[in-house]
Amino acid sequence: MNETTGKQGLHAALTGGISRRAVMAGAGTLATVAAIGFPNIVRAQSKTLKVGVYGGYFKESFEKHIFPEFSKATGITVEAIAEPTGEAWLVQLEQAARARQAPADVSMMSQVAMLKGASAELWAPFDLSKIPNAAKVVPHLVNKYPDGKVSGIGAVSWYITLVTNTKSYPQAPDSWAALWDPANKDKLGLLALVSNSFLLEVTAATFFGGTKHLDSEQGQLDCFKKLAELKSNVKLWYRDEAQFEASLKSGEIPMGQYYHDVTGLAAADGQPVRSTFPKEGGILDSGSWAVTRASKAGDLAHVFVDYMCQPSIQALLSRKVGTAPTIDRKLTDLTDQEFAAVSSDIAPIIPRYDLYTSKSDWLNQKWTEMIVG
Amino acid sequence: MSALVLDGLTKRYGPVTAVHGASLRIPHGQFVCLLGPSGCGKTTLLRMIAGLEDPSGGRLVIDGRDITTAPAHTREFGMVFQSLALFPHLTAGENIAYPLRIRGAAKAEQRKRADELLELVRLPGVADRPVSKLSGGQRQRVAIARALALSPKLFLLDEPLSALDAKLREAMQIELKQLQQRLGITTIVVTHDQREAMTMADLVVVMSQGRIHQAAPPMEVYRQPADAFVADFIGMTNLLEGEVTAPGTAAVPGGTLHLPDLPPTGRVLLSVRPEDVIVHPVGTDGPNRLSGTLSFMRDLGASVEFRIDVAGREIVALTRPQDRPPVSPGGALSVEFPPAACVVLPPMAERPQ
Amino acid sequence: MIRRAPRGLAEHAPILFPALMLVVFFVIPFSLMIAVSVFRRVPGGFYEPDLVFANYERFLTAFFGGVMSFSLGLAALVAALSVGIAFPFTYRLVKLSRGAQIRWLVFLLSILSLSEVIIGFAWSTLLSRTAGITNLFVALGLMAEPQSLSPSFGALLAGLVYQAFPYTVLVLYPALARLDPYLEEAARTLGSSPLRAFFTVVVPALRNTIVATTIMVFVFALGSYLLPQLLGRPQHWTLSVLITDQAIYQSNMPFAAAMAVFLVLVSLALVGLALLAGRREETA
Repeated sequence: MNETTGKQGLHAALTGGISRRAVMAGAGTLATVAAIGFPNIVRAQSKTLKVGVYGGYFKESFEKHIFPEFSKATGITVEAIAEPTGEAWLVQLEQAARARQAPADVSMMSQVAMLKGASAELWAPFDLSKIPNAAKVVPHLVNKYPDGKVSGIGAVSWYITLVTNTKSYPQAPDSWAALWDPANKDKLGLLALVSNSFLLEVTAATFFGGTKHLDSEQGQLDCFKKLAELKSNVKLWYRDEAQFEASLKSGEIPMGQYYHDVTGLAAADGQPVRSTFPKEGGILDSGSWAVTRASKAGDLAHVFVDYMCQPSIQALLSRKVGTAPTIDRKLTDLTDQEFAAVSSDIAPIIPRYDLYTSKSDWLNQKWTEMIVG
Repeated sequence: MSALVLDGLTKRYGPVTAVHGASLRIPHGQFVCLLGPSGCGKTTLLRMIAGLEDPSGGRLVIDGRDITTAPAHTREFGMVFQSLALFPHLTAGENIAYPLRIRGAAKAEQRKRADELLELVRLPGVADRPVSKLSGGQRQRVAIARALALSPKLFLLDEPLSALDAKLREAMQIELKQLQQRLGITTIVVTHDQREAMTMADLVVVMSQGRIHQAAPPMEVYRQPADAFVADFIGMTNLLEGEVTAPGTAAVPGGTLHLPDLPPTGRVLLSVRPEDVIVHPVGTDGPNRLSGTLSFMRDLGASVEFRIDVAGREIVALTRPQDRPPVSPGGALSVEFPPAACVVLPPMAERPQ
Repeated sequence: MIRRAPRGLAEHAPILFPALMLVVFFVIPFSLMIAVSVFRRVPGGFYEPDLVFANYERFLTAFFGGVMSFSLGLAALVAALSVGIAFPFTYRLVKLSRGAQIRWLVFLLSILSLSEVIIGFAWSTLLSRTAGITNLFVALGLMAEPQSLSPSFGALLAGLVYQAFPYTVLVLYPALARLDPYLEEAARTLGSSPLRAFFTVVVPALRNTIVATTIMVFVFALGSYLLPQLLGRPQHWTLSVLITDQAIYQSNMPFAAAMAVFLVLVSLALVGLALLAGRREETA
């Protein structure tokens, strides 16, 4: 069973695409969350924390699986706020902060929004001493101010991988380079936007030794030039996930990039599809928890973030929401199969979010001209 | 020789027969009126002649050529529709020149012909006006001019004057007849107005329920109706049912009449026009008289109308005012049916209603 | 009776409400859009009130010129095809019995109720290699092996015309239903074959209706942004697709507004030209 919720608006929510298919893992029992003590924090009785989550699939899943358990464990009531699409939420937080208001105390933010908020010093720095579990979060999912203060801590992450139709490709490809193979002419389905496909990063990692190559404009142009070579292989530049997913299942478009967990679920349903982590790595996109400086519930926010970083909660998210753990898998009780359903041990390609803040319009223009022209 | 021959033309729409085997010979240059109540099949018959309806049976021959199945646009007949069907996107002149344009005539020739025709229908100088800017009568003339643009062999008009007011209609009837006489063109007009038919036609074709009852000159249709329907439909008449009792003698309600043209035996129907009935005061005597009571009388100026009860039947009589007998309603009088005025019809079997 | 213009508030009252609605739902939003189009974009953020024309400058490039021409050309082609197919269709439709007409109109209305997404998916499936119509051709022996016909320009055109067709028929229907049926017959008695009568009388008599309908379908097609993504390749993406990208994905409202304003102005200009040409023809 797998129902569609993710829609175009959500793409924008993460300026890079958290648009997701809803996934309710069929297997696995609900792990009872052990009542864990929080020695460093005062138990906050009858307090309320406003948590901003992407509207739709994420909000529904969190309200169903996470928030009730959190309230039970801490006594803090969560008021879930559905974040609007686009960067509107960031703008609302900024404007509210100027008026010393906080529409939400802690919010799930896309990486681009994290960077933009940081440049306006919107985020109240986290005190890691109050978040013991933050130490478990993998380093690249911790957002920092230039001076080293922590602005955000990884909330959820997910992979976009190389997907194929098993009937058309009995042999799984092992590299992103397959996208450039002339034999795959008119067979690919790729995401339509520079900021949600992360194909510049894929190109840099596959052909130019890593995403560092994108540091310079020349490097970016190199990647655009290389990317232009695969245009004739692309049958569909998609914005609508459902269209690509249907075409992948039928074999109409037998190869492309897509969400790892959703593809795995389709395969488990008996569809002839597979998701492959190429040797260059899957694309790891993520959202972070951040606290607006106008929030007066900083202490409660720290309790919340600490709670979310626990291995048991990360495992629960992987099982119920389909996200990859933000912490080292060895700390979780995820089985190999459960882990493989959402992640991989192969080092990921981390998107260059900094580019999408500093050169957003230029990249977008170049990209559009590249694929439309 | 006949210009147009209708030979058993029939039109069926599913189970409904609109025209039953219509046969007719129309000589060159005749003005023919198809006359009948609405729904009698006269328009369907005209549309079959125009080629706008395919006959279900029968033949249509013009000048010896069978055109039963020829498409309308090859027949070269001019037709005026009830709605006039003027082309709204063209001027009056362009409407008239349309058939010439279709045949590829030069612009100048089209214009010349349009002006000629407007002259013919006495509407000069409106060639450049859009048809929407013309009055009803002017549109009528343009429609007529357009139908005549190619000097057609046959000129067909479907209730052409029905949209005009009474006065204009009367004038147009006369004008149309004069135009037809000037051009000598064979013309067929559909109308439900007997006055119109009597005014214009050389040949009136009376139809009812899909059948032709009589085709004859107006006066003959009036004086010698072929059957009770025609007698009743054309003008006013007195119908008397009777039985032949002896050669030349028929018994009718209220007495007996002596007539020369009676069949030897059986039932007969007599038609006598009101103006032929002679009214006498009681006491005077003569042949073919029946006595009755005056039930109603009115003075119409040019004539006086009497309604007389004769043996339970109402007889209508018209007399000149000076011939009016001295009698008032309720009074007795006798009515005379001159033998020459009595038309003997077949019995009632076929009479509609 | 001589008509006089309404005087005073009471006589104007019936049009006050629609006028108000027009202002509230059209004039104000459009003015806001024009205003936003000259606002300054805050990179990475939102926009601030200003009077700059950078958004228009950015738009005035060969690239956007190309996309614009394609969008206009596509919309014109869709309008021409839709009207070209729908006009004869509707002409036949109004001659059917009342019952048959109602059945057709209900059917067309039901197509009209389909969302763009459903139409896009249906056509991409119909034109796919795996489940599409070419499999039928193969089964009939007309083709050697199934082919994928989508995404392509043809697929996009088919989808757009399919979407516009019921709309076109419903716009044409009243005028054709009112047309005097004897016009065509009159033309036939004057020597035109039925086909010729159709083109020399029926079509010109309804010229204004046809022009108005074509313009409506043109504008309708110009606003399409989902079907080009679903059935077209990137070179078939219309300006509406790029506007959506800018507004939703790039959060660049000023640029999106500038493109939208430009699109509206160009379409208005084209519509004006079409009407002007029509009027000149009429007076000629």
